[in-house]
Amino acid sequence: MAKLRVQFESGEPERVIDFDPARAPFQHDGRPGSILDVLLAHGIHLEHACGGNCACTTCHVVVKKGMERLSASEDAEDDLLDKAPGLTPTSRLGCQAVIEDPDAEIVVWIPKYTINQISGHGS
Amino acid sequence: MAVELEGRLEEVVDHGADTRSLFLGLPVALDFRPGQFISCQLPVGGETLIRPYSIASSPEEPRRLELLLNLVPGGPGSHYLFGLPRGAPLRFSGPWGTFVLERAPAAETVFIADGTGIAPIRPMLRRALATATGRPLHLLAAAKSPERVLYRAELEAHKHPLFSWDHVASDALEEQVTRRWVERDADRSRRFFICGVGAIVPTLRDLLRRAGYERRAVQYEKW
Repeated sequence: MAKLRVQFESGEPERVIDFDPARAPFQHDGRPGSILDVLLAHGIHLEHACGGNCACTTCHVVVKKGMERLSASEDAEDDLLDKAPGLTPTSRLGCQAVIEDPDAEIVVWIPKYTINQISGHGS
Repeated sequence: MAVELEGRLEEVVDHGADTRSLFLGLPVALDFRPGQFISCQLPVGGETLIRPYSIASSPEEPRRLELLLNLVPGGPGSHYLFGLPRGAPLRFSGPWGTFVLERAPAAETVFIADGTGIAPIRPMLRRALATATGRPLHLLAAAKSPERVLYRAELEAHKHPLFSWDHVASDALEEQVTRRWVERDADRSRRFFICGVGAIVPTLRDLLRRAGYERRAVQYEKW
């Protein structure tokens, strides 16, 4: 089983998800087995205004551990990340970064601005 | 900053059997940039589907949005929207997206729109015409036939001296782009804005970048 640890800048308690990558997709948005796919299927909301189609940056996450265990980014993702607020060297779009390795342990950090991009949310 | 709003379907205009414009009236003005999209929340089958649609109208009309969409065979989102009666509410968040043009670039600019990919290009083009800097603006509109180019009458009505447009068959896009902007000259100062559905968009992106255009000179949105 792969393990995905989810940490929140907002201070919410860490969530730990154990899942079998071979059973992807877990729902219908984002690439099958992507961080977005896993989070949504486990009740963790991650904004994805474009429906998980790699056309915006609202599902931006920062990978704290396991970057090398994720699918490589493609030009479309890199071009969008180029415009993402708060970009870091280990930033990924949740809808594109796929966890394929059944032994992977990934830690992702969800910035506040990824959650609270809609005026009035979180206030 | 994006907001959540509920619009109402005010008007429907069909462009053909399976392509339609929806006009949404909003309770307040939406502040957006040419090229951005809204994220529609569609109640379908007991769940909420998220479906993004580019805003095909201009920021100068901030309380009435035009969305342009195709009826996708087997697509629950587009079937829901095609079945929406006049006056029905439509909830969405937005504006979103970084495929934008706020003023005409200081370089020759080429817009490439494949089918309904003209939706974000249309307000971009209007803004580019309104802020033109003396550099040529060209639209290459791809469709199955010249008669099926969306907003054709509007394009023909643009009489700006710097603007030109023409039609190409969708399956000839790659060949035409290669001939016009790769092989014809060595000028690599142009700016491109490309929008369409599917693999043709990254194909054109890669073609132009490999030919020597800078990465940021080739902006695109693939739906």
